Amino acid sequence: MVFILGNNFSEQRLVLKTLQGFYGIGPQISRHLLARLHIHPTARLSSLNSQTVLDINAELASMKIENDLRRELRENITRLRDMGTYRGRRHAMGMPVRGQRTRTQTATASKFNRVERLG
Amino acid sequence: MSLQTCWRCIARASCQPCPTRRPPQQLCTLYPASTAAFTTSPSLSALPPKKKAKSPMVEVNVKGAKKTFTKKKKKLQKVDRGKKPAVGERKALRKRVVLSNTNALEVEGLKDITAQSMIDDSLRGHVLAIPGPVVDQLRAVEAFKVTQGWPLFRRPSMLIRKDTLDMATEIENISLGIGDKTIRRVFVGERGSGKTTMLLQAMTMAFLKDWVVINIPQAQDLILAQTEYGPLPSTTPTLYTQRTYTASLLNAISRANPILQTLQLSQPPAENEIPIPVPPNISLSRLALLGAEDPEIAWPIFELLYRELTLPDRPPLLLCMDGLAHAMRNTHYISNTYQPIHAHQFTIIKWFLDHLSGTSPLPNAGLVLASTSESNSPVVPALKLALGQLEGNSAVRKDPFAKYDERVLGVFEGGGVEVKRMGGLSKEEARGLMEYWALSGVVRQRVDDGFVGEKWCLSGGGCVGELERAVVRMRV
Repeated sequence: MVFILGNNFSEQRLVLKTLQGFYGIGPQISRHLLARLHIHPTARLSSLNSQTVLDINAELASMKIENDLRRELRENITRLRDMGTYRGRRHAMGMPVRGQRTRTQTATASKFNRVERLG
Repeated sequence: MSLQTCWRCIARASCQPCPTRRPPQQLCTLYPASTAAFTTSPSLSALPPKKKAKSPMVEVNVKGAKKTFTKKKKKLQKVDRGKKPAVGERKALRKRVVLSNTNALEVEGLKDITAQSMIDDSLRGHVLAIPGPVVDQLRAVEAFKVTQGWPLFRRPSMLIRKDTLDMATEIENISLGIGDKTIRRVFVGERGSGKTTMLLQAMTMAFLKDWVVINIPQAQDLILAQTEYGPLPSTTPTLYTQRTYTASLLNAISRANPILQTLQLSQPPAENEIPIPVPPNISLSRLALLGAEDPEIAWPIFELLYRELTLPDRPPLLLCMDGLAHAMRNTHYISNTYQPIHAHQFTIIKWFLDHLSGTSPLPNAGLVLASTSESNSPVVPALKLALGQLEGNSAVRKDPFAKYDERVLGVFEGGGVEVKRMGGLSKEEARGLMEYWALSGVVRQRVDDGFVGEKWCLSGGGCVGELERAVVRMRV
Protein backbone atom coordinates (compact mmCIF):
# COMPACT_ATOMS: atom_id res chain seq x y z
CA MET A 1 0.00 0.00 0.00
CA VAL A 2 1.23 3.48 -0.84
CA PHE A 3 0.18 6.47 1.22
CA ILE A 4 -0.62 9.56 -0.84
CA LEU A 5 -2.29 12.63 0.64
CA GLY A 6 -3.95 10.73 3.44
CA ASN A 7 -5.19 7.86 1.29
CA ASN A 8 -3.92 4.34 0.89
CA PHE A 9 -3.62 2.97 -2.62
CA SER A 10 -2.87 -0.50 -3.91
CA GLU A 11 0.61 -0.89 -5.37
CA GLN A 12 -0.76 -2.32 -8.58
CA ARG A 13 -2.37 0.98 -9.57
CA LEU A 14 -0.97 3.22 -12.28
CA VAL A 15 0.44 6.44 -10.90
CA LEU A 16 -1.21 8.43 -13.69
CA LYS A 17 -4.68 7.12 -12.84
CA THR A 18 -4.17 7.32 -9.09
CA LEU A 19 -3.48 11.04 -9.23
CA GLN A 20 -6.59 11.55 -11.34
CA GLY A 21 -8.62 10.21 -8.45
CA PHE A 22 -8.12 13.46 -6.54
CA TYR A 23 -10.70 16.19 -7.06
CA GLY A 24 -9.12 18.87 -9.23
CA ILE A 25 -6.61 16.67 -11.06
CA GLY A 26 -7.47 15.53 -14.56
CA PRO A 27 -5.49 13.81 -17.29
CA GLN A 28 -3.53 16.91 -18.28
CA ILE A 29 -2.47 17.98 -14.81
CA SER A 30 -1.64 14.41 -13.90
CA ARG A 31 0.59 14.08 -16.94
CA HIS A 32 2.36 17.37 -16.19
CA LEU A 33 2.89 16.29 -12.61
CA LEU A 34 4.48 13.01 -13.71
CA ALA A 35 6.73 14.83 -16.18
CA ARG A 36 7.88 17.21 -13.47
CA LEU A 37 8.86 14.32 -11.24
CA HIS A 38 10.35 12.18 -14.05
CA ILE A 39 7.88 9.33 -13.72
CA HIS A 40 7.02 7.53 -16.93
CA PRO A 41 3.32 7.25 -17.83
CA THR A 42 3.08 3.48 -17.42
CA ALA A 43 4.66 3.47 -13.96
CA ARG A 44 2.83 1.70 -11.17
CA LEU A 45 2.87 2.74 -7.55
CA SER A 46 5.01 -0.27 -6.70
CA SER A 47 7.87 1.08 -8.82
CA LEU A 48 8.12 4.37 -6.91
CA ASN A 49 10.79 4.75 -4.30
CA SER A 50 10.02 6.45 -1.03
CA GLN A 51 11.61 9.73 -2.07
CA THR A 52 9.39 9.95 -5.15
CA VAL A 53 6.29 9.28 -3.04
CA LEU A 54 7.36 12.12 -0.74
CA ASP A 55 7.85 14.37 -3.77
CA ILE A 56 4.37 13.53 -5.04
CA ASN A 57 2.92 14.33 -1.63
CA ALA A 58 4.80 17.62 -1.53
CA GLU A 59 3.57 18.58 -5.00
CA LEU A 60 -0.01 17.70 -4.14
CA ALA A 61 0.18 19.62 -0.87
CA SER A 62 1.11 22.77 -2.73
CA MET A 63 -1.83 22.48 -5.12
CA LYS A 64 -5.39 23.64 -4.59
CA ILE A 65 -7.22 20.32 -4.81
CA GLU A 66 -9.85 18.33 -2.95
CA ASN A 67 -11.56 20.28 -0.11
CA ASP A 68 -9.77 23.56 -0.78
CA LEU A 69 -10.99 23.54 -4.34
CA ARG A 70 -14.49 22.55 -3.31
CA ARG A 71 -14.56 25.39 -0.79
CA GLU A 72 -13.46 27.87 -3.39
CA LEU A 73 -16.24 26.73 -5.66
CA ARG A 74 -18.81 27.15 -2.92
CA GLU A 75 -17.45 30.55 -2.01
CA ASN A 76 -17.78 31.70 -5.59
CA ILE A 77 -21.43 30.69 -5.67
CA THR A 78 -22.14 32.24 -2.27
CA ARG A 79 -20.53 35.47 -3.39
CA LEU A 80 -22.78 35.63 -6.42
CA ARG A 81 -25.83 35.01 -4.28
CA ASP A 82 -24.87 37.54 -1.64
CA MET A 83 -24.35 40.20 -4.27
CA GLY A 84 -27.86 39.46 -5.44
CA THR A 85 -26.87 38.72 -9.00
CA TYR A 86 -29.06 36.86 -11.43
CA ARG A 87 -26.59 33.98 -11.52
CA GLY A 88 -26.59 33.79 -7.75
CA ARG A 89 -30.36 33.65 -7.66
CA ARG A 90 -30.47 30.96 -10.28
CA HIS A 91 -27.99 28.91 -8.28
CA ALA A 92 -30.11 29.34 -5.19
CA MET A 93 -33.20 28.25 -7.09
CA GLY A 94 -31.47 25.27 -8.64
CA MET A 95 -32.27 26.49 -12.13
CA PRO A 96 -30.04 26.76 -15.18
CA VAL A 97 -27.66 29.70 -14.88
CA ARG A 98 -26.58 30.39 -18.41
CA GLY A 99 -29.79 30.99 -20.30
CA GLN A 100 -30.73 27.41 -21.03
CA ARG A 101 -34.40 26.57 -21.51
CA THR A 102 -36.34 25.56 -18.45
CA ARG A 103 -39.40 24.07 -20.10
CA THR A 104 -37.82 20.65 -20.09
CA GLN A 105 -34.54 19.04 -19.18
CA THR A 106 -33.27 20.89 -16.14
CA ALA A 107 -32.21 17.79 -14.29
CA THR A 108 -28.53 18.61 -14.45
CA ALA A 109 -29.12 22.12 -13.19
CA SER A 110 -31.29 20.99 -10.31
CA LYS A 111 -28.67 18.41 -9.44
CA PHE A 112 -25.69 20.73 -9.41
CA ASN A 113 -26.88 24.29 -9.01
CA ARG A 114 -27.24 24.85 -5.36
CA VAL A 115 -25.51 27.17 -3.00
CA GLU A 116 -23.93 24.41 -0.93
CA ARG A 117 -22.62 22.61 -3.94
CA LEU A 118 -20.55 19.54 -3.15
CA GLY A 119 -18.18 19.83 -6.06
CA MET B 1 -108.55 15.61 -28.52
CA SER B 2 -105.28 15.08 -26.77
CA LEU B 3 -102.63 12.46 -27.53
CA GLN B 4 -102.24 9.53 -25.20
CA THR B 5 -98.49 9.78 -25.07
CA CYS B 6 -96.32 12.70 -24.32
CA TRP B 7 -94.51 14.27 -27.35
CA ARG B 8 -91.25 14.25 -25.52
CA CYS B 9 -91.44 10.55 -24.93
CA ILE B 10 -92.13 9.66 -28.48
CA ALA B 11 -88.50 8.84 -29.15
CA ARG B 12 -88.33 6.31 -26.35
CA ALA B 13 -89.45 2.77 -26.38
CA SER B 14 -93.12 2.60 -26.68
CA CYS B 15 -93.34 0.26 -23.75
CA GLN B 16 -91.49 2.68 -21.53
CA PRO B 17 -93.75 5.02 -19.83
CA CYS B 18 -92.89 8.62 -19.53
CA PRO B 19 -89.97 9.00 -17.09
CA THR B 20 -90.95 12.38 -16.06
CA ARG B 21 -94.15 11.32 -14.55
CA ARG B 22 -93.42 7.96 -13.00
CA PRO B 23 -90.49 6.44 -11.24
CA PRO B 24 -88.50 4.02 -13.44
CA GLN B 25 -89.78 0.51 -13.48
CA GLN B 26 -88.40 -2.77 -14.70
CA LEU B 27 -88.11 -2.99 -18.39
CA CYS B 28 -90.60 -5.17 -19.99
CA THR B 29 -88.40 -6.04 -22.98
CA LEU B 30 -86.31 -9.16 -23.24
CA TYR B 31 -83.42 -7.35 -24.81
CA PRO B 32 -82.66 -3.75 -24.37
CA ALA B 33 -82.95 -1.71 -27.49
CA SER B 34 -79.63 -0.68 -28.84
CA THR B 35 -81.02 2.00 -31.02
CA ALA B 36 -83.78 4.39 -30.63
CA ALA B 37 -86.78 2.71 -32.17
CA PHE B 38 -89.16 4.82 -34.03
CA THR B 39 -91.73 2.20 -33.71
CA THR B 40 -94.04 1.08 -31.04
CA SER B 41 -93.14 -2.62 -31.46
CA PRO B 42 -90.33 -3.92 -29.19
CA SER B 43 -87.01 -4.38 -30.95
CA LEU B 44 -86.01 -7.94 -31.80
CA SER B 45 -82.52 -7.40 -33.06
CA ALA B 46 -79.65 -9.86 -32.92
CA LEU B 47 -77.55 -10.36 -29.87
CA PRO B 48 -75.01 -7.62 -29.34
CA PRO B 49 -71.48 -8.58 -30.24
CA LYS B 50 -69.47 -9.96 -27.38
CA LYS B 51 -66.75 -7.77 -26.12
CA LYS B 52 -63.38 -9.23 -26.88
CA ALA B 53 -61.49 -10.03 -23.80
CA LYS B 54 -58.20 -8.71 -25.01
CA SER B 55 -57.49 -6.35 -27.79
CA PRO B 56 -54.15 -7.11 -29.36
CA MET B 57 -53.59 -3.48 -30.19
CA VAL B 58 -53.79 -2.34 -26.61
CA GLU B 59 -52.02 -4.71 -24.38
CA VAL B 60 -49.69 -6.79 -26.51
CA ASN B 61 -46.59 -4.99 -27.53
CA VAL B 62 -46.93 -4.82 -31.27
CA LYS B 63 -44.20 -3.35 -33.28
CA GLY B 64 -45.08 0.21 -34.15
CA ALA B 65 -47.55 0.60 -31.32
CA LYS B 66 -46.77 3.59 -29.19
CA LYS B 67 -45.60 2.74 -25.80
CA THR B 68 -43.60 5.05 -23.57
CA PHE B 69 -41.86 2.42 -21.57
CA THR B 70 -41.04 -0.99 -22.82
CA LYS B 71 -39.64 -3.52 -20.52
CA LYS B 72 -36.20 -4.55 -21.57
CA LYS B 73 -35.42 -8.18 -21.60
CA LYS B 74 -32.62 -9.10 -19.33
CA LYS B 75 -29.65 -10.33 -21.24
CA LEU B 76 -28.46 -13.70 -20.25
CA GLN B 77 -25.20 -13.13 -18.48
CA LYS B 78 -22.43 -15.30 -19.78
CA VAL B 79 -20.56 -16.87 -16.95
CA ASP B 80 -16.90 -17.27 -17.73
CA ARG B 81 -15.85 -20.47 -16.10
CA GLY B 82 -12.42 -20.63 -17.75
CA LYS B 83 -9.30 -20.16 -15.71
CA LYS B 84 -7.86 -16.71 -16.26
CA PRO B 85 -4.16 -16.43 -17.06
CA ALA B 86 -1.91 -15.24 -14.28
CA VAL B 87 -0.33 -11.81 -14.30
CA GLY B 88 2.36 -11.66 -16.96
CA GLU B 89 1.56 -15.11 -18.33
CA ARG B 90 0.27 -13.91 -21.68
CA LYS B 91 3.21 -11.56 -22.15
CA ALA B 92 5.63 -14.34 -21.30
CA LEU B 93 3.95 -16.52 -23.91
CA ARG B 94 4.15 -13.74 -26.47
CA LYS B 95 7.82 -13.06 -25.82
CA ARG B 96 8.84 -16.69 -25.52
CA VAL B 97 11.66 -17.70 -27.83
CA VAL B 98 11.48 -21.35 -28.85
CA LEU B 99 14.79 -22.63 -30.14
CA SER B 100 14.17 -26.32 -30.45
CA ASN B 101 11.50 -28.50 -32.01
CA THR B 102 11.55 -32.17 -31.21
CA ASN B 103 9.27 -32.91 -34.15
CA ALA B 104 11.87 -31.64 -36.58
CA LEU B 105 14.27 -34.18 -38.00
CA GLU B 106 17.80 -34.20 -36.75
CA VAL B 107 20.09 -33.27 -39.61
CA GLU B 108 22.72 -35.88 -40.22
CA GLY B 109 26.26 -34.60 -40.38
CA LEU B 110 25.42 -31.08 -39.19
CA LYS B 111 28.66 -29.52 -37.99
CA ASP B 112 29.04 -26.94 -35.25
CA ILE B 113 30.60 -23.62 -36.02
CA THR B 114 33.92 -23.15 -34.28
CA ALA B 115 36.41 -20.35 -33.91
CA GLN B 116 38.64 -22.10 -36.43
CA SER B 117 36.08 -23.13 -39.01
CA MET B 118 34.23 -19.84 -39.21
CA ILE B 119 36.71 -18.36 -41.66
CA ASP B 120 36.80 -21.43 -43.87
CA ASP B 121 35.83 -20.33 -47.37
CA SER B 122 34.84 -23.85 -48.38
CA LEU B 123 31.94 -23.70 -45.94
CA ARG B 124 30.21 -21.01 -47.94
CA GLY B 125 26.65 -22.08 -48.64
CA HIS B 126 26.69 -24.60 -45.80
CA VAL B 127 24.56 -24.50 -42.71
CA LEU B 128 26.38 -24.83 -39.42
CA ALA B 129 24.85 -25.35 -36.01
CA ILE B 130 25.46 -22.93 -33.16
CA PRO B 131 27.12 -24.71 -30.21
CA GLY B 132 25.03 -25.11 -27.07
CA PRO B 133 26.94 -22.77 -24.75
CA VAL B 134 26.88 -20.05 -27.39
CA VAL B 135 23.13 -20.52 -27.77
CA ASP B 136 22.78 -19.80 -24.06
CA GLN B 137 24.93 -16.71 -24.41
CA LEU B 138 22.95 -15.50 -27.41
CA ARG B 139 19.75 -16.07 -25.52
CA ALA B 140 21.08 -14.05 -22.62
CA VAL B 141 21.76 -11.03 -24.84
CA GLU B 142 18.37 -11.50 -26.55
CA ALA B 143 19.87 -12.04 -29.97
CA PHE B 144 17.09 -14.44 -30.99
CA LYS B 145 13.83 -12.79 -32.02
CA VAL B 146 10.36 -14.23 -31.65
CA THR B 147 9.51 -13.65 -35.30
CA GLN B 148 12.42 -15.66 -36.64
CA GLY B 149 11.98 -19.26 -37.74
CA TRP B 150 13.88 -21.00 -34.94
CA PRO B 151 10.93 -23.15 -33.76
CA LEU B 152 10.94 -25.05 -37.05
CA PHE B 153 14.22 -26.84 -36.47
CA ARG B 154 15.85 -29.22 -34.04
CA ARG B 155 18.61 -26.83 -33.02
CA PRO B 156 19.62 -23.27 -33.96
CA SER B 157 21.80 -23.21 -37.04
CA MET B 158 22.97 -20.56 -39.42
CA LEU B 159 23.84 -20.28 -43.05
CA ILE B 160 27.38 -19.26 -43.91
CA ARG B 161 26.89 -16.69 -46.65
CA LYS B 162 29.40 -14.39 -48.21
CA ASP B 163 28.71 -11.55 -45.77
CA THR B 164 29.17 -13.97 -42.87
CA LEU B 165 32.57 -15.01 -44.14
CA ASP B 166 33.58 -11.37 -44.62
CA MET B 167 32.51 -10.59 -41.09
CA ALA B 168 34.33 -13.66 -39.79
CA THR B 169 37.52 -12.56 -41.51
CA GLU B 170 37.22 -9.11 -39.97
CA ILE B 171 36.66 -10.55 -36.52
CA GLU B 172 39.62 -12.83 -36.99
CA ASN B 173 41.82 -9.96 -38.15
CA ILE B 174 40.78 -7.74 -35.26
CA SER B 175 41.49 -10.58 -32.84
CA LEU B 176 44.94 -11.01 -34.37
CA GLY B 177 45.55 -7.26 -34.46
CA ILE B 178 45.68 -7.01 -38.25
CA GLY B 179 43.97 -4.31 -40.24
CA ASP B 180 41.41 -1.85 -38.92
CA LYS B 181 41.13 -1.66 -35.18
CA THR B 182 37.53 -0.67 -35.05
CA ILE B 183 34.86 -1.23 -37.66
CA ARG B 184 31.68 0.80 -37.41
CA ARG B 185 28.89 -0.42 -39.62
CA VAL B 186 25.18 -0.02 -40.25
CA PHE B 187 23.26 -2.80 -41.98
CA VAL B 188 20.54 -1.71 -44.36
CA GLY B 189 18.47 -3.71 -46.80
CA GLU B 190 15.07 -4.98 -47.69
CA ARG B 191 12.69 -6.54 -45.26
CA GLY B 192 13.77 -10.09 -44.52
CA SER B 193 17.20 -9.66 -46.08
CA GLY B 194 18.99 -10.87 -42.94
CA LYS B 195 20.12 -7.70 -41.17
CA THR B 196 19.16 -8.86 -37.68
CA THR B 197 20.49 -12.34 -38.40
CA MET B 198 23.76 -10.76 -39.45
CA LEU B 199 23.99 -9.18 -36.00
CA LEU B 200 23.32 -12.60 -34.51
CA GLN B 201 26.03 -14.17 -36.61
CA ALA B 202 28.49 -11.46 -35.59
CA MET B 203 27.62 -12.08 -31.94
CA THR B 204 28.04 -15.83 -32.37
CA MET B 205 31.49 -15.40 -33.82
CA ALA B 206 32.45 -12.83 -31.19
CA PHE B 207 31.42 -15.24 -28.44
CA LEU B 208 33.48 -17.96 -30.08
CA LYS B 209 36.46 -15.62 -30.09
CA ASP B 210 35.95 -14.70 -26.42
CA TRP B 211 35.04 -11.12 -27.06
CA VAL B 212 32.80 -9.13 -24.77
CA VAL B 213 29.40 -8.55 -26.36
CA ILE B 214 27.04 -5.78 -25.37
CA ASN B 215 23.76 -5.94 -27.27
CA ILE B 216 20.80 -3.59 -27.28
CA PRO B 217 18.22 -5.95 -28.77
CA GLN B 218 15.66 -3.34 -29.75
CA ALA B 219 16.22 0.43 -29.59
CA GLN B 220 12.48 0.93 -29.44
CA ASP B 221 12.45 -0.38 -25.87
CA LEU B 222 14.53 2.62 -24.87
CA ILE B 223 12.26 5.30 -26.25
CA LEU B 224 8.73 4.03 -25.60
CA ALA B 225 8.54 5.59 -22.12
CA GLN B 226 7.92 2.26 -20.47
CA THR B 227 10.99 2.07 -18.28
CA GLU B 228 12.03 4.38 -15.50
CA TYR B 229 14.08 7.46 -16.29
CA GLY B 230 15.70 10.25 -14.41
CA PRO B 231 18.02 13.19 -15.08
CA LEU B 232 21.74 12.82 -14.66
CA PRO B 233 22.96 15.64 -12.37
CA SER B 234 25.24 18.38 -13.72
CA THR B 235 24.87 17.68 -17.43
CA THR B 236 24.11 20.25 -20.12
CA PRO B 237 22.00 19.57 -22.08
CA THR B 238 20.41 17.32 -19.50
CA LEU B 239 21.13 13.65 -19.98
CA TYR B 240 18.74 11.03 -18.70
CA THR B 241 19.51 7.60 -17.32
CA GLN B 242 17.24 4.57 -17.49
CA ARG B 243 18.08 2.73 -14.34
CA THR B 244 15.89 -0.35 -14.74
CA TYR B 245 16.94 -0.90 -18.33
CA THR B 246 20.59 -0.38 -17.43
CA ALA B 247 20.26 -2.91 -14.63
CA SER B 248 18.79 -5.52 -16.99
CA LEU B 249 21.51 -4.73 -19.53
CA LEU B 250 24.16 -5.31 -16.87
CA ASN B 251 22.48 -8.56 -15.96
CA ALA B 252 22.58 -9.66 -19.61
CA ILE B 253 26.23 -8.65 -19.94
CA SER B 254 27.16 -10.59 -16.84
CA ARG B 255 25.31 -13.74 -17.85
CA ALA B 256 26.33 -13.72 -21.49
CA ASN B 257 30.04 -13.07 -21.07
CA PRO B 258 31.69 -15.73 -18.93
CA ILE B 259 35.03 -14.18 -19.77
CA LEU B 260 34.17 -11.36 -17.35
CA GLN B 261 34.60 -13.81 -14.49
CA THR B 262 38.30 -14.03 -15.30
CA LEU B 263 38.76 -10.27 -15.46
CA GLN B 264 39.19 -8.29 -12.28
CA LEU B 265 38.73 -4.70 -11.27
CA SER B 266 42.10 -3.02 -11.85
CA GLN B 267 41.82 -0.36 -9.16
CA PRO B 268 39.18 0.50 -6.57
CA PRO B 269 36.78 3.19 -7.75
CA ALA B 270 36.88 6.70 -6.31
CA GLU B 271 34.68 7.26 -3.30
CA ASN B 272 32.29 9.65 -4.98
CA GLU B 273 31.96 7.45 -8.07
CA ILE B 274 30.06 4.49 -6.66
CA PRO B 275 27.75 4.98 -3.69
CA ILE B 276 28.44 1.51 -2.30
CA PRO B 277 31.74 0.00 -1.20
CA VAL B 278 33.19 -2.28 -3.85
CA PRO B 279 35.59 -4.99 -2.72
CA PRO B 280 39.01 -4.83 -4.36
CA ASN B 281 39.83 -7.45 -7.02
CA ILE B 282 36.15 -8.11 -7.60
CA SER B 283 35.51 -9.84 -10.91
CA LEU B 284 33.87 -7.74 -13.58
CA SER B 285 31.05 -10.26 -13.80
CA ARG B 286 30.29 -9.79 -10.12
CA LEU B 287 30.57 -6.03 -10.53
CA ALA B 288 27.97 -6.10 -13.28
CA LEU B 289 25.68 -8.18 -11.09
CA LEU B 290 26.01 -5.60 -8.31
CA GLY B 291 24.58 -3.05 -10.70
CA ALA B 292 21.92 -5.46 -11.90
CA GLU B 293 20.69 -5.99 -8.37
CA ASP B 294 20.34 -2.33 -7.50
CA PRO B 295 18.94 -0.13 -10.29
CA GLU B 296 19.81 3.02 -8.34
CA ILE B 297 23.53 2.44 -8.94
CA ALA B 298 23.20 0.72 -12.32
CA TRP B 299 24.46 3.60 -14.42
CA PRO B 300 27.59 4.39 -12.34
CA ILE B 301 28.40 0.66 -12.34
CA PHE B 302 27.91 0.50 -16.10
CA GLU B 303 30.31 3.42 -16.58
CA LEU B 304 32.86 1.79 -14.30
CA LEU B 305 32.50 -1.55 -16.06
CA TYR B 306 32.94 0.03 -19.46
CA ARG B 307 36.01 1.93 -18.29
CA GLU B 308 37.49 -1.32 -17.04
CA LEU B 309 36.74 -3.02 -20.35
CA THR B 310 38.61 -0.34 -22.28
CA LEU B 311 41.79 -0.69 -20.27
CA PRO B 312 44.80 -2.22 -22.03
CA ASP B 313 44.96 -6.01 -22.36
CA ARG B 314 41.22 -6.43 -22.24
CA PRO B 315 39.35 -8.42 -24.91
CA PRO B 316 37.85 -6.66 -27.94
CA LEU B 317 34.27 -5.43 -27.72
CA LEU B 318 31.26 -6.03 -29.92
CA LEU B 319 28.49 -3.47 -29.56
CA CYS B 320 25.19 -4.11 -31.34
CA MET B 321 21.92 -2.29 -31.67
CA ASP B 322 18.84 -3.29 -33.63
CA GLY B 323 16.16 -0.88 -34.85
CA LEU B 324 18.51 2.08 -35.23
CA ALA B 325 15.87 4.51 -36.54
CA HIS B 326 14.08 4.49 -33.21
CA ALA B 327 17.20 5.91 -31.58
CA MET B 328 17.19 8.86 -33.95
CA ARG B 329 14.09 10.80 -32.96
CA ASN B 330 12.18 12.31 -30.10
CA THR B 331 11.19 9.78 -27.51
CA HIS B 332 7.88 9.37 -25.73
CA TYR B 333 9.53 10.55 -22.53
CA ILE B 334 8.74 14.08 -21.38
CA SER B 335 11.07 16.49 -19.63
CA ASN B 336 10.15 18.45 -16.53
CA THR B 337 9.32 21.42 -18.74
CA TYR B 338 6.87 19.20 -20.61
CA GLN B 339 8.92 18.96 -23.79
CA PRO B 340 9.68 15.66 -25.55
CA ILE B 341 13.18 14.37 -24.85
CA HIS B 342 15.36 13.47 -27.80
CA ALA B 343 16.70 9.93 -27.91
CA HIS B 344 20.28 11.21 -27.96
CA GLN B 345 19.78 12.62 -24.46
CA PHE B 346 19.50 9.14 -23.03
CA THR B 347 22.79 7.84 -21.71
CA ILE B 348 22.67 4.33 -23.16
CA ILE B 349 21.73 5.51 -26.64
CA LYS B 350 24.29 8.31 -26.48
CA TRP B 351 26.94 5.87 -25.34
CA PHE B 352 26.24 3.58 -28.27
CA LEU B 353 26.00 6.36 -30.85
CA ASP B 354 29.25 7.90 -29.62
CA HIS B 355 30.91 4.62 -30.52
CA LEU B 356 29.09 4.38 -33.83
CA SER B 357 30.11 7.89 -34.82
CA GLY B 358 33.66 7.39 -33.62
CA THR B 359 33.54 10.09 -30.93
CA SER B 360 34.47 7.43 -28.38
CA PRO B 361 37.04 5.07 -29.85
CA LEU B 362 37.42 1.48 -28.73
CA PRO B 363 41.00 1.25 -27.46
CA ASN B 364 41.06 -2.55 -27.60
CA ALA B 365 39.51 -2.63 -31.04
CA GLY B 366 36.21 -4.21 -31.82
CA LEU B 367 33.05 -3.89 -33.85
CA VAL B 368 30.18 -1.46 -33.56
CA LEU B 369 27.20 -2.79 -35.50
CA ALA B 370 23.77 -1.33 -35.93
CA SER B 371 20.88 -2.54 -37.97
CA THR B 372 17.90 -0.74 -39.41
CA SER B 373 14.51 -2.31 -39.76
CA GLU B 374 12.06 -2.19 -42.61
CA SER B 375 9.05 -3.58 -40.82
CA ASN B 376 9.21 -1.56 -37.61
CA SER B 377 10.79 1.75 -38.36
CA PRO B 378 9.72 5.35 -37.89
CA VAL B 379 10.32 7.82 -40.71
CA VAL B 380 13.53 9.72 -39.99
CA PRO B 381 14.47 11.81 -43.05
CA ALA B 382 17.90 12.70 -41.66
CA LEU B 383 18.84 9.05 -41.14
CA LYS B 384 17.62 8.13 -44.59
CA LEU B 385 19.66 10.93 -46.12
CA ALA B 386 22.80 10.15 -44.16
CA LEU B 387 22.68 6.42 -44.86
CA GLY B 388 21.90 7.01 -48.54
CA GLN B 389 24.83 9.37 -48.92
CA LEU B 390 27.21 7.05 -47.08
CA GLU B 391 26.09 4.20 -49.27
CA GLY B 392 26.98 6.26 -52.31
CA ASN B 393 23.45 6.44 -53.63
CA SER B 394 23.45 9.46 -55.92
CA ALA B 395 19.67 9.48 -56.07
CA VAL B 396 19.48 10.53 -52.42
CA ARG B 397 19.65 14.30 -52.24
CA LYS B 398 18.79 16.80 -49.61
CA ASP B 399 15.23 17.95 -49.93
CA PRO B 400 15.16 21.75 -49.43
CA PHE B 401 11.73 21.58 -47.86
CA ALA B 402 12.30 18.68 -45.48
CA LYS B 403 13.42 19.15 -41.90
CA TYR B 404 16.58 17.29 -41.01
CA ASP B 405 17.60 16.60 -37.48
CA GLU B 406 21.08 18.06 -37.01
CA ARG B 407 21.85 15.67 -34.17
CA VAL B 408 21.19 12.69 -36.43
CA LEU B 409 23.29 14.11 -39.24
CA GLY B 410 26.03 14.81 -36.69
CA VAL B 411 26.37 11.11 -35.90
CA PHE B 412 27.42 10.34 -39.46
CA GLU B 413 29.32 13.57 -40.15
CA GLY B 414 32.66 12.43 -38.82
CA GLY B 415 32.90 9.68 -41.42
CA GLY B 416 34.14 6.20 -40.87
CA VAL B 417 30.70 4.65 -40.67
CA GLU B 418 30.20 1.99 -43.30
CA VAL B 419 26.79 1.25 -44.69
CA LYS B 420 26.40 -2.34 -45.71
CA ARG B 421 23.44 -3.27 -47.86
CA MET B 422 22.31 -6.82 -47.35
CA GLY B 423 21.46 -8.30 -50.72
CA GLY B 424 20.01 -11.63 -51.72
CA LEU B 425 21.64 -15.02 -51.44
CA SER B 426 23.44 -16.51 -54.40
CA LYS B 427 21.85 -19.59 -55.92
CA GLU B 428 24.48 -21.84 -54.34
CA GLU B 429 23.80 -20.40 -50.91
CA ALA B 430 20.05 -20.72 -51.47
CA ARG B 431 20.53 -24.33 -52.47
CA GLY B 432 22.56 -25.10 -49.35
CA LEU B 433 19.86 -23.56 -47.21
CA MET B 434 17.08 -25.47 -48.97
CA GLU B 435 18.94 -28.74 -48.61
CA TYR B 436 19.17 -28.07 -44.89
CA TRP B 437 15.43 -27.39 -44.82
CA ALA B 438 14.79 -30.62 -46.71
CA LEU B 439 16.95 -32.60 -44.28
CA SER B 440 15.08 -31.01 -41.37
CA GLY B 441 11.83 -32.24 -42.86
CA VAL B 442 10.18 -28.90 -43.56
CA VAL B 443 10.59 -29.20 -47.34
CA ARG B 444 9.15 -32.31 -49.00
CA GLN B 445 10.04 -31.53 -52.59
CA ARG B 446 13.18 -32.65 -54.31
CA VAL B 447 15.77 -29.90 -54.14
CA ASP B 448 17.13 -29.68 -57.65
CA ASP B 449 18.19 -26.85 -59.93
CA GLY B 450 14.68 -26.23 -61.19
CA PHE B 451 13.18 -26.00 -57.71
CA VAL B 452 15.99 -23.81 -56.41
CA GLY B 453 15.81 -21.49 -59.43
CA GLU B 454 12.05 -21.14 -59.16
CA LYS B 455 12.08 -20.29 -55.47
CA TRP B 456 15.12 -18.05 -55.84
CA CYS B 457 13.20 -16.01 -58.43
CA LEU B 458 10.05 -16.04 -56.32
CA SER B 459 11.95 -14.59 -53.40
CA GLY B 460 13.08 -11.57 -55.39
CA GLY B 461 16.61 -12.75 -56.11
CA GLY B 462 17.35 -14.71 -52.96
CA CYS B 463 16.02 -12.42 -50.24
CA VAL B 464 16.34 -14.95 -47.43
CA GLY B 465 13.22 -14.00 -45.52
CA GLU B 466 11.11 -14.20 -48.66
CA LEU B 467 12.79 -17.50 -49.52
CA GLU B 468 11.69 -18.91 -46.20
CA ARG B 469 8.17 -17.66 -46.77
CA ALA B 470 8.04 -19.16 -50.24
CA VAL B 471 9.53 -22.53 -49.38
CA VAL B 472 8.90 -23.29 -45.72
CA ARG B 473 5.91 -21.31 -44.56
CA MET B 474 3.73 -21.24 -47.68
CA ARG B 475 1.70 -24.39 -48.21
CA VAL B 476 -0.14 -24.54 -51.50
